[in-house]
Parts: sequence; structure tokens; C-alpha cells
Amino acid sequence: MGGIGSNIMPRTTIKRPLAPMKLIRISLILCLFLFLVIVFSLLLGTAKVSMNQLWCLFVGSPKANEMVKLIVFKIRLPRIVLAGITGFSLSLGGVVFQALLRNPLADPFILGVSSGGALGAVIGIILGLGFGLGIPLMSFAGALLAIYLVLVMGRRKIGMESSTILLAGVIINAFFTSIIMFFIATSANDRLHTMLFWLYGDLSQSLYSQSLVIGPVLFIGFIILFGLARHLNVITAGEETALHLGVNVERAKMICFLVVSLIIGLVVSFSGLIGFVGLIVPHLGRMAFGSDHRVLLPVSSLGGAVFLIAADTIARTVISPSELPVGVITAFIGAPFFVYLLKTRGSGWARS
Amino acid sequence: MVACVLTLSWSVLTPAATFRDALGREVSLKSSPKRIVSMAPSLTEILYYLGLGERVVGVTQFSYFPPEAGQKPKVGSYINLNVEKIISLDPDLAVGTVDGNRPGVVKLLDQAGIPVYLVNPRSVRDAIKTVASLGRLCGARKKAEDLSYGLYRRMDRVFQKTVSLRHPVVFLQINIRPIMTVNRNTIHNDVIRLAGGVNLSRDEPMTYPTISVEEIIQRRPEVIIISSMERGGRFEAVKRRWLKWPDIPAAKTGRIYLVESDLLDRPSPRIVKGLEIMGRLIHPEVKWEE
Repeated sequence: MGGIGSNIMPRTTIKRPLAPMKLIRISLILCLFLFLVIVFSLLLGTAKVSMNQLWCLFVGSPKANEMVKLIVFKIRLPRIVLAGITGFSLSLGGVVFQALLRNPLADPFILGVSSGGALGAVIGIILGLGFGLGIPLMSFAGALLAIYLVLVMGRRKIGMESSTILLAGVIINAFFTSIIMFFIATSANDRLHTMLFWLYGDLSQSLYSQSLVIGPVLFIGFIILFGLARHLNVITAGEETALHLGVNVERAKMICFLVVSLIIGLVVSFSGLIGFVGLIVPHLGRMAFGSDHRVLLPVSSLGGAVFLIAADTIARTVISPSELPVGVITAFIGAPFFVYLLKTRGSGWARS
Repeated sequence: MVACVLTLSWSVLTPAATFRDALGREVSLKSSPKRIVSMAPSLTEILYYLGLGERVVGVTQFSYFPPEAGQKPKVGSYINLNVEKIISLDPDLAVGTVDGNRPGVVKLLDQAGIPVYLVNPRSVRDAIKTVASLGRLCGARKKAEDLSYGLYRRMDRVFQKTVSLRHPVVFLQINIRPIMTVNRNTIHNDVIRLAGGVNLSRDEPMTYPTISVEEIIQRRPEVIIISSMERGGRFEAVKRRWLKWPDIPAAKTGRIYLVESDLLDRPSPRIVKGLEIMGRLIHPEVKWEE
């Protein structure tokens, strides 16, 4: 039984240089997927948009229908862009958490980091802060607090216990969610009442301006994390190995936690709580391309974008003209997947 | 002739009128709207009341009054609207409520160039004013003013007949399980007040508080009104549950009544009907018919 151990590279490969062509090839294939899912998602919806009309729009043909233009550019595209960015971020967060905690079941949602961000955002709304800076900052602080609590609660005398971390995540999730519900139930603030939708993930009010806030942060964050990909490889392989190779693990970990919390906090403040994306996609990526983080980071992130755009397309079409929160779709797919992983892999990473 | 052409081109080039909605937003209409999307059941009722039903091209999920409104294309529920569906109906006006419709939806419709007019009725008087303002918006000013004046007269009649009487404590139950009620910031509270009652939970901090039986026994309501769409059996069961507490004056005297919730929940013309029913239930001693 290979188990999770098969996902861990033999120590000799840790320093093996990566063939850049391989990475480029895989990324291009995924970008093609991304393009296809975007086109698909632009075509589907309550209003009928044909391939022909879409083509007319994008080549700027004068035959383009004004209403179709509105629906495609003002409603569907901003939503797809935000869904893509959100999926990218959550999946990226998932990969990094899984590496840092050496736990295949780690995910921003399961660890309570998302609900930490959500709590921060809710407090920001109660304090009357703006969506431009105040609320995302509060959300970042909440996400950071959650991950700090997970680490503190999960820390045993000897290193980190894998299942303890997951339990810590469950506890933090429950606690933060209860505080959020308390605020929603007791607040006279009208803005909070509509947040029940947001708690299950809501992309229905997407604007380009939101993507413009997250986009640059995500770009820089991704570059930093990608730069630390080899550190992540080493951390996954085990702390002794890291010490052996003379890698400054603690500093790399600290940077990763900060960057991921920032990204997740931002994403949550706009899209709400969307679970399991960071669990499903990185795992599929690992099965397909192995666990070298130099490949896994870009693959999972792009895959996350594809996955969430697809999930959101289902969410807004399946009971049309009403729509479901996208978190309902991701949890519906993700929760059984989680059970499957738990059954086949256990909650531990490698116990070599 | 020249003047006629001039005025015509003038009306094409400039907005026919600019209106200010409940949020103070300026809503400019080029001409009297012909394709209206209603984003709340109460607004659908008002549009039909004004005889503008034919101009309504889209309604929300629970817009089933008047029955023919239910035949119109649906644009989602009022709190979960499908913006894409609204745009695809090509409306020249969308009317919504500040409370129910989420700000994001309004922003998206704004961006799509669809004029959105929001109302925020918090009292019976506000609901009646909404009839007048929607009428003005849709170029049915005279009719709207006549109709709203009629509604106003009916409201005032109930108020005048009960205002000087002793106001009994009224408990309004808007949800059966858990037991929920309303505070002073609701239109329900206004209905109770105008009908000559005192809302038992008017000072609760939450708008729709959940309240315990214990608390209700302590506050001794003289009338219990259950606002629900349930009829018959379910209501009888709830009533029996209240009758078990003879310490509650309303249970002792059997003054526990059912009122169709649509007549109390919706700031539409029918709320005046709800008010008249409430007046009769709270003050049966008044001579209502003349």
C-alpha cells in the first residue's frame, strides 16, 4: 500500500532541478482548460447567449446584441473573473497549508482560516468600515488569528500532531461561526442580514473592482510562494531533512502563513465562505503530477480557478432563475471527497 | 407645428422626469416606463392596484397576488434576485425595496443602465405613499393620488375610532416555531398602534425577536394575533397550545385570532385591509359598520 508515502519524494530528488519545459507545457494545457471553462461559463445562464453572439461580441462585430453585451460583460464576466481568482487563491492556500502542516486534509476552510477571515469581515461591517481597505484588513487579521490558534492548539510537546491540527480547525470553525451567527442575529444593521448568503459563498454580486483589489495581491503573493516552493518540498519531506539540508524552515513557514492568510482574508471578504476547493484540487494535482511544489503550486492554483468557475456555473444555472450559493456546490462535491481521502489516506501525512 | 416638433425632440433628448427614491438616489426616466420589473411582492401588488399590471414584465417568486401576477416571468426571490434574468427582460424601470434587495444587485443594475427606484416603507402611511409615488413614476399620477387618498381615509377611520380607547396589550406571533414577534421598527407595530393596541414586544432590541412562552406569560397580552398563511388545523393546534396558559389574559378570554400574514407583512394596499381586520379584533366593542 503506497498510501500517502508515495506522494513524498525520495530524499534524493529534493534538489533535482526542474525541467522548465515540463512546467510550461503543463501550465499551457491548464490555461487551455481555463479558457474553455470560461467560454462555457459565458455561454450558460438564465438568458440565452449563443456561440455566434459571443463571437460577434469579442471580435467587436456591429451585429452584437446590446443586451447580450450587457449580460456578458457586466454580469457574467466579472463574476467569472472573481470566481477564477477565488478558486486560484483557495487552492493555492490549500497546497501551502498541506505542505506546512504536512497534512493532506488541510484546507483554509477546514482549518477555520476562512471563518476567521469571515469573522473579521463581519466585525469590519459592524464597525462601519469600507470594502476598499478596512474590511479586507479586518478579514486578514481574522484569518491570521485563526491560523495562529490552529498552530498553538495543534502544537504538542514533540512537533505537530496531524489529527490534533484538524480537530483544532474544527473547533475554531465552530467557535468563529457561532460568533458570526450571534452578530447576524443580534445586529440591527441591514447589511448583516443579507450575509447569510455570503456565509455559504456568494459570487452573485461580483464587480470588476473587487478582482482589481485581490488581483495584484494574489500575483505578488503567488510569486513569493512560488519562490519558496523548494522550501515547501523540504518541509513536506520532514523537518529533519530540512535541518539536514540547512534550510531555514521557520522563516519560510512564517512568510507562507502570512502570505496565505492575507490572500485568504481578502478572498473571503469578497466571496464569503467557500469550502473544499483547497482540498479537492491540490489532491488531484498531486495524483496527476506528483508533489514537487514547483509544479504543484501553479497546477493547483490554475486548477482551482477552473474548478470554481465550473462550480459557480452550476450554482447559477441549476435551479434557474434562482441560484444557489456556490459553497453549496463545492461542499456537495468536497465533503464526500474528504471522507474518501480520510478513508484511504488517513489524517496523517507520511509516517516513515 | 414647429413648437410641437420642438417639444417632441426635447422630450426625446432629455429625461422626461427625474425622481428621488428612498435612498435619495436620482432616478431619471426618459419616458413613462412601459416594461417594469418588480423586485418585491408588495411592489407587484401596488403596480397591479394602480392598473399597471400589463406593463409588468417580471416579478419575484412570491408575487402571487393578484393571481394573474403569478403568470409573469420570475426574476428570483426578492432577496436572491437573478440580475441576468432582469436584464434579459429588457426593462425600462426596476422597482425594489431598500430592506430586501441587496445593495450589490442595485449596483449591478445601475451599471447595466437600468433605472432602479427603491422604496423603504416602514409604516402604513409609508405604504400608502408608495402607491402615490409609484403612480407618479409610471405616469398615472391622478389615479394614484385618488387611490392613495382612499386608502388614507380607510386608515384614518380605524385610527380615529380607536385612538381614544384604552389600548390593550397585543402579542403578534409572526412565526409558530420558534415563537417570533416584532419590535417597534416594523410595519406590524404600526398596524397594531393604528388599530388601537400596544405591541407587547415593541421595546425589544432585535427587529424580529425570538421570545419565550415564559416572557409572554409575564407580560400578560390581552389579545394574541397569529399572523400566518396556515389555515384550519395548524392554527387550531397553535391556539390550543396558548389556551393551556390561563394566566395569559388572552387565553382566559379566548381572544386568540388568525390573520392572513400577507395582509400584515406586505407594505401593499392590502395592509389597510389588514389594519381594518386588526381594528375589529382588538376593539370588538366599537361600532364598525355604519
